[in-house]
Order: sequence, then structure tokens, then C-alpha cells
Amino acid sequence: MAHNSGRTAVVPGQLVWVDVHTVMTMDYLGKQCFSAFESLSPDKKLFDKERLICVSDHLAPPPTEQFATMLNEWREIVHSYDIPYFYDLGRQGIAHQLMVEQGHVLPGKVSIGTDSHANTYGAVGAVGNAIGVTDAAIAMATGKCWFRVPESVKFVIKGTWQPWVMAKDLSLHIMGMMHWNGHLIYKTLEFTGPAIESLDMAGRMTLCNMTVDLGAKNGIVAPDATTANFLKPVQKGDWEFVSSDEDAHYDAVYEVDVTQVGPTVSMPDKLDDVVPIDKVVGTKFNKAFVGTCTNGRTEDFAIMAKILEGQQIHRNVNMVCIPASQAVYLECIQKGYFETLIRAGAAIETPSCGPCAGIHTGVAGDGDIILSAGNRNMKGRMGSKNAKIFLTSPAVVAASAIKGEITDPRSQNW
Amino acid sequence: MAIITGKAWVAKNYVMSFDMILQKFWTSPINPAENAKWVMAGVAEEFNRENGFIDAGYTFIVAGHNFAGGGKSIEHCVTGLIGAGIQAVFATSFARLQFRNAINYGLPFITSKDINLECTTGDELSYDSDTGVITNLTNGKVFTSVPVAPFVAEVAASGGLMNFIRNKIADGSIHDLH
Repeated sequence: MAHNSGRTAVVPGQLVWVDVHTVMTMDYLGKQCFSAFESLSPDKKLFDKERLICVSDHLAPPPTEQFATMLNEWREIVHSYDIPYFYDLGRQGIAHQLMVEQGHVLPGKVSIGTDSHANTYGAVGAVGNAIGVTDAAIAMATGKCWFRVPESVKFVIKGTWQPWVMAKDLSLHIMGMMHWNGHLIYKTLEFTGPAIESLDMAGRMTLCNMTVDLGAKNGIVAPDATTANFLKPVQKGDWEFVSSDEDAHYDAVYEVDVTQVGPTVSMPDKLDDVVPIDKVVGTKFNKAFVGTCTNGRTEDFAIMAKILEGQQIHRNVNMVCIPASQAVYLECIQKGYFETLIRAGAAIETPSCGPCAGIHTGVAGDGDIILSAGNRNMKGRMGSKNAKIFLTSPAVVAASAIKGEITDPRSQNW
Repeated sequence: MAIITGKAWVAKNYVMSFDMILQKFWTSPINPAENAKWVMAGVAEEFNRENGFIDAGYTFIVAGHNFAGGGKSIEHCVTGLIGAGIQAVFATSFARLQFRNAINYGLPFITSKDINLECTTGDELSYDSDTGVITNLTNGKVFTSVPVAPFVAEVAASGGLMNFIRNKIADGSIHDLH
């Protein structure tokens, strides 16, 4: 924040205007952002149209007439500004996936977006932060956003990842450890340690993505060789390696031995009501969902395909899989993952946020019990308030779908 | 000297943003009077009708941990409260997204630890924005609060961040933002 605000140092609690690298907005709130932006100044000049990223993800393809009209209005305004990075239906994906996958977020820089899971950008060592329409509009005009400099909390993740255990399990494990107790509210969470260094970019994205659900300001992983290799073919701009000072001060430091983390499940209605899988093994469910900005990546479908190869999803379970972007979709087709999933009895939908926020392509009805690899499970999140949502990893969803009841993926040699 | 006095509604911990504004209103235009009609509808059954929260006539909300949590970037939570006549919210802690939305709209979100434990719905409170002192006139208890940064007061005095920036664009001082 010091670097991006022309200072040599900042202290926690300080309010600073920061130069933002990119601003993301999407169909759901984007038109409001443009309207607010246009009300700021008569010249209606964007700070940099190559650094305003526009996405159709919540409403595309439109499920209702109302949303179709909203999307039309959204397209019209984006086209009127000739925005080069407009990811519309056909080139679409979930905004946070695209921001990282297409190189719009870079280490050491600050990017903002009008959706809460903008924290995902921390996976490449960027500050990724969600903001509202007002902040987006102001950044669109000025390239700046005000920030309160956060305190930092360090998570040192040690040990070795166990088979079939994913970043999502660690994320839910930390959710259970920390609760919504207020301690992490407004903090930056830095993930370090050998188990983070060995984690691929998809896993880092999952981990940073859910820091918003811990109440944190953002999550971040220092850039390393994994980051550089990932960014090289896609990066839009230059960047430098950044990391915390050796003597950096942390509000708190927590150590987690990932060797001890097994498949983990968040119980319906309350995200931090988290249990190890053995407490819920055998629980029956009728719907399964894998997708979202949390777990809709190629790596997620790869592990599912490994489990579901030659298997059949239980006849009482409807599974919906939604790749997080067109690039993920294509890669999963090319690698045969979606063929495996389709043969097993899964439905594949075109990239979008899907039913995660109860909008479309598989929303919850009364009495549904859903095993989901999404990010939120409060009452009514996916549709009906009379549905229950268990959250877990894609591996657990795949293994469980075969039996129609929650199953530990470690229980078999897939 | 700016002292506001009025009746408070006391919430539990974890008032969630998606209950303050129900999903069907997430894409509504920002308009305090309109957003207020159904604000808080999912928080308590008594507010789950048109103008439910407005008609209750509260000036303040007192809450515990993580007020307006749940990570929604929608601004309707804040504009809805403003439209319903809320002049300040006092809580042990706030979720960051709505905390910044509140600053941007000039609605004081004031941190005062455990204030909810010593207030009851319907209590008459007064808030002195110069000193940050909150007084429960009904039971005589006095609370201090975390001071508001000068920037926050400046934004509120401009009538919100949009006006604050409009003024700076108009007078050319926008490039001095630091």
C-alpha cells in the first residue's frame, strides 16, 4: 500500500489513497458503476480503459426476461466505452477466475472488484479487494481507491498434503479454527510455509478466495516460481517479486500442520460450523454442485474425473458442474475430464456463477440437501430457505455422489 | 457540537448484509427512500413488510460483532438505513465492506465495544459526534467510541464520497489525493 500510494511506509489504521492496477465490474452491478461514474464529471473520461475489466458472469446466459434486459443494457454501456477486455457470453467466465487466469492482476499491485470474492487475486500476490459501486465509479474516473491499511495475521502452513485433501479443506479448517469471532475482521491474512509453497495456483486461489468469508480484508500468498510460471504467458503488465519484511510485525501468527487436515465439511446454515468428514459420513443428499470462483477450476474437475472414472453417480443425486471460465471448460474437454463426468451422469453447464447465489442453472428447491463445493451455505443462499447446503471439496463431492451419501474420498483407491 | 438524540433498535451479533437487503433487491437502483422500504426485512420478522423498519421509527442501531457481515458489496444496506432515518450505528465490530460503504455515504458506523450488552430496544440514546461519547439516556450508561478519522468526517461533511470527489474534480485538486 505504501508502494502504490507513493509513500515509503504506511502504518495499520492509516487511510491512504492507493493507485489501483485494475478495476473489475460485472453484469450484476456494472451498469450502476457506469451511471455513478458518469455522474462524477462531465467529460466522462475513464482512467484507463485497458484496466477496466468488464464481465458477464452472474446473469449470463440470462435465465429470465428481466435479466436478459439487464444484460442488454450492460452490453450497450460497455460497448459504448469500447472496453477491450469485455468478457461477455461466449468468452465468459466468473470474474475472479478471469482476472487471475487472463493476467489482469499482478504481484505487488492493488486490484478491486464489485464482488466480494475479489480476495481471490491474493493468489498471485496482489491485494484483491471487494468494493461497492461508489468506490468502483471513483476508481474508474481517477484510478484511485481509499484504503485503511490493515493489520496482518500470518498463517504458517506446514506439513504434507494428504491424498484427496485439497486447499478447500484447509480453507474450511481455518474457518472452523477462527470462526466469525471478529478477530480477523479487516485483517490481511498472509499464507506462508512449505505447504503453501507446494500448492498450485488453483489451490492458492481457493484459499485466498474464502478469506472474505473469514471476515478478513484480503488474503495473500507471496509470489514465487509457481506464480511467475503461471503469469508468464498471460500477464498484462510488468511486475516485481514482493514479500513481507523479515522482521514484519503480525497481530497474530497461527501454525497449521496440513498433515493433520483431512477432508472437511461445513454444516448447513453456518459457514464456521465445520467438522472433519467422519462426523457426517453417511449423510444422504440429493443434489451435488461443483463450480464457482472457489472451486470451478481444471484442477478441481481433474480430481473429480479421477474419482468418477468408470463410476456412476447415484440415481438419487443430480450433479451440476460449472467450469469457472471458457478456458477451463475447453481444457476440461480437451483433457477428457468432462467426458468422464458426463459418462458418470453429471450435467455440465456453461461458465457462470450458476446457482451459487441462487440465480440460475440449478437453484435449490424446498427440501433439497445439497453437497456443494461452493463458498457459502447460509439459509436461502442457493434458492429455497428450506434447503440445506453442506460445503466441502470437489473430491468429497465426487466420492460422495457415487453412493448418494457423504463419503470420505480416502476410503477407496480410486 | 453536534448531538443527535433518538430511539435505538438493539440487534444481536452477526446481523448479515443479505438479511438487511433481500436478494430480490440486490440489483435495485441506489435510492435511499426506495431501498429503505424493505431494509432489514430478513433480519427480524417484525420488519418483514413494506416500510416495516421505517415505521418503527428508530434513529440508531446498536449491534454486537460483525454488523452487516456476510460479504456483500451491495450498497443498499447503507442507503436503506439512511432512507429509514438511521443516523448512526454503534457496534462492537463491523464487516469491512459495509463499513467502507457507510463511510462513502457519510453514515456514521461507530465502533463501541460491547455497547449492545447495556442497551435495550427502545432506549433513548444520544451521540456526540465531536467527542464520540454515546449516552443511554434511559439507563444513564455512558460509552466511548473509536475516534473517527478526519477523512471520514470530511467525506461526511461533503455529503458522501461521490460529492467529495466531484468537488475535487471540479476544482482540480483531484490530483492531490494521497
